[in-house]
Amino acid sequence: MTFLERTTDPRRLRTWEGHMEADYIYTSGIAGERFFVALRDEGRVLASRCTACHLDYLPARLFCEDCFAELTEFVDVPGEGRVVAVTVAHVDRSGNPLSRPQVWGFVSFRGIRGGLVHRLLVSPDRARAGLAVRPKLKPRSARVGAITDIEGFEPVRS
Amino acid sequence: MTARISKWPGFELSAADLAEGKVTQTRFRPDAKYAWSAGEAMSRFLAELQEGRLIARTCQSCERILFPPRMFCEECYRPTDAWKYIQDTGTIETFSISYLDTDAKRIAEPILVGVTSLDGASPKMGMMHYFGEMTKEEIRIGMRVKAVWKPPADRRGSVLDIRYFRPLREGER
Repeated sequence: MTFLERTTDPRRLRTWEGHMEADYIYTSGIAGERFFVALRDEGRVLASRCTACHLDYLPARLFCEDCFAELTEFVDVPGEGRVVAVTVAHVDRSGNPLSRPQVWGFVSFRGIRGGLVHRLLVSPDRARAGLAVRPKLKPRSARVGAITDIEGFEPVRS
Repeated sequence: MTARISKWPGFELSAADLAEGKVTQTRFRPDAKYAWSAGEAMSRFLAELQEGRLIARTCQSCERILFPPRMFCEECYRPTDAWKYIQDTGTIETFSISYLDTDAKRIAEPILVGVTSLDGASPKMGMMHYFGEMTKEEIRIGMRVKAVWKPPADRRGSVLDIRYFRPLREGER
């Protein structure tokens, strides 16, 4: 054994195992707060508007990326969006196999800069870019002010 | 605040605000596991301690016997070459009479700690440990000492498998 040979399995040696406690709380911020409260309380999906640049941003944000103006106006995104990209996941976040594949997509809306990554409520064989979708919300009582208040995006025409 | 800015934008949140759910938030606990390894040389060193032995590494180039062992010679800038057992006797290089314990609490009866250079290793090479069976008046630099080991069943592959170093008795070697 020389120092040039890499130690690839530290458990072969004397090791100490541990678990780092790295809990965090991520707050939504000022514009994010508007976005999530509107989603929770009114079931609306908001974009923030820059009147100078004629741009609407999704997710809603506090500053215009083009002119750096503070954004105080919010508008509803269209009820119908379009799938731009899809991924079919066969493993979960930890890399464990899923019992059935999950479909994820990036959904954009006409006239809006940005979009949302979310679950697509379609079978994997129907998942494709160009699909017209709309958000499916949880009932008001189940909404907590998180992106998961949207269950996913379902096809407009089934 | 500064001379030019009397109020920063936004608002402050207290821990209570977060706990009460005053604002929307995401909570997450990453699954951040680790395995910290002692490395090749120190792993063998600790395993040998459990057997009641002290082990070093030799370097052919500078002909030193490195203790504690390491896989790399910092003088020659090359890998070390072989394992070599050394003795559990040595000479006190430095010592402290400490009125603080390992938690930095004040204690009335001092503990004696210091570095012993060990027989069989190159000069000035050794380990830091406790000293025992001697008083703070008796301890001195150059004193000959020997390791007092825990019974084999109590050893854990730790540097504390040696309880302390005691004075070498007359006629002992």
